[in-house]
Amino acid sequence: MSWKRHHLIPETFGVKRRRKRGPVESDPLRGEPELMQLFPRGLFEDALPPIVLRSQVYSLVPDRTVADRQLKELQEQGEIRIVQLGFDLDAHGIIFTEDYRTRVCDCVLKACDGRPYAGAVQKFLASVLPACGDLSFQQDQMTQTFGFRDSEITHLVNAGVLTVRDAGSWWLAVPGAGRFIKYFVKGRQAVLSMVRKAKYRELLLSELLGRRAPVVVRLGLTYHVHDLIGAQLVDCISTTSGTLLRLPET
Amino acid sequence: MLGFLSARQTGLEDPLRLRRAESTRRVLGLELNKDRDVERIHGGGINTLDIEPVEGRYMLSGGSDGVIVLYDLENSSRQSYYTCKAVCSIGRDHPDVHRYSVETVQWYPHDTGMFTSSSFDKTLKVWDTNTLQTADVFNFEETVYSHHMSPVSTKHCLVAVGTRGPKVQLCDLKSGSCSHILQVVFAGHRQEILAVSWSPRYDYILATASADSRVKLWDVRRASGCLITLDQHNGKKSQAVESANTAHNGKVNGLCFTSDGLHLLTVGTDNRMRLWNSSNGENTLVNYGKVCNNSKKGLKFTVSCGCSSEFVFVPYGSTIAVYTVYSGEQITMLKGHYKTVDCCVFQSNFQELYSGSRDCNILAWVPSLYEPVPDDDETTTKSQLNPAFEDAWSSSDEEG
Repeated sequence: MSWKRHHLIPETFGVKRRRKRGPVESDPLRGEPELMQLFPRGLFEDALPPIVLRSQVYSLVPDRTVADRQLKELQEQGEIRIVQLGFDLDAHGIIFTEDYRTRVCDCVLKACDGRPYAGAVQKFLASVLPACGDLSFQQDQMTQTFGFRDSEITHLVNAGVLTVRDAGSWWLAVPGAGRFIKYFVKGRQAVLSMVRKAKYRELLLSELLGRRAPVVVRLGLTYHVHDLIGAQLVDCISTTSGTLLRLPET
Repeated sequence: MLGFLSARQTGLEDPLRLRRAESTRRVLGLELNKDRDVERIHGGGINTLDIEPVEGRYMLSGGSDGVIVLYDLENSSRQSYYTCKAVCSIGRDHPDVHRYSVETVQWYPHDTGMFTSSSFDKTLKVWDTNTLQTADVFNFEETVYSHHMSPVSTKHCLVAVGTRGPKVQLCDLKSGSCSHILQVVFAGHRQEILAVSWSPRYDYILATASADSRVKLWDVRRASGCLITLDQHNGKKSQAVESANTAHNGKVNGLCFTSDGLHLLTVGTDNRMRLWNSSNGENTLVNYGKVCNNSKKGLKFTVSCGCSSEFVFVPYGSTIAVYTVYSGEQITMLKGHYKTVDCCVFQSNFQELYSGSRDCNILAWVPSLYEPVPDDDETTTKSQLNPAFEDAWSSSDEEG
């Protein structure tokens, strides 16, 4: 019998005194700077803004629905942008808006000074970003509301700011994120295989973090561990010796 | 609970409150009980279960061997140990039995005189319960994955059928025709329909889920197309991009309306379950975490009814995961089956859950009751003596 079900009983009956629970409502905004610190800026020579994944936020905030709602609020306020990372439809990257703007400005404008992209990208950053907080943009939105021509949209795709999703719709993207995604996917597989090769396919968290990271893991073990726990690719079991990470049976 | 009872007695609180609180407490205590069993008749995995909505007494089960069995769930013996017996069954020797696996069975919503069953042999059969004969057979061109008849409707007798083709077909039981087809070339589904479900709130609203990752809500009176295609990202609605809206990132396997019909739950092979507002199609963004789903055909899950916070019971591999519907919290995993669980149904009168799996068993999950208090009789002292050691000699006084 799981202990978890019983906490609903006093709530239903309303008679038992509620035990004071610790801060359950932990704010993702507080957790994100910590996660952003884990992102290795030096690896990409500051060309990429620090990207945090949604699954990492889930590993910090125990209630996922609350985390989702708070992230959505932050997105609506314009503090963060959520970006679709190509390898998995569910993996969303979270970037602070100012970071995104400064990095994209620097890197794209440096790379394409004088080329036709520059104007389109400037226009995009100035008009579309503040106005529309979504992950994706549609054809008629771009042409009618923001006044982009087809050629300008092609420039944006070439510059790496937009990625094609379907005929007539595009995802927001981070230029130069290809390397990050490559390191991320390889690193995730490497950390998972570390757990898989262990006897009984389980490892104590402290032991995992104490091991030397294999060469493939360029983003850091802690970064990947947060992501694995949040994405439920490993089960997190608390034992008397600390947290245990175990591969799920299914 | 005594507080609730006295409050109800004095009129301080609504009687419904006690009922809901006690129902919730019983659902939170669901577990396997050695005293409750369901007779094992099926020789193959069990694909579908349905409990009749009138009394909650009879249960139908359909198996992958094509057999349909009718069980009586009521415990009329005075003992606590009870096996739910099969009242009758449509076995392999019946002339009208389905040739292949039965995918969905459903009681006629208004009484137990009739039930419908659909199967991979491309037919939907309507059975008369008392004589166990087919009253009507509808033939289709493709295998049938799922069918559903509206539980509340009194104005129509339409059965919605989801097949391997992209068109949703509606069969009319009154006239025997299956000519009404819901398919519009641009806005219809593109791959097989894995699940269909009528709304328990409105007579004419139908939800369909397909392998092309889309869930559509239809009003069957409207010929021009679907009402809403559910979009998981809650993007801005515009006609041009209806085609890009997906409800899940994989096939959508199962659909279930909540008992008041205001929300819709969907599960997909992207291992996610989503809760939607059924009036405007908005994703409520409740996050249930990873809900493992490898099923290639439909997954039948169910929602509790009558508790203060509703629960959803989803088959998760060989266990059943229980979540609260509106907050997404996982309550527990019910472990007991040996192989993949395919279907589960909830009996709301007694708060019991019945689940069928590929290991040919139906398990009954019963709220754990208190241990019975031992009786304080003299009979117990006598029965403690093993009859093998009892003295078989009569008393010497009697013989004289």
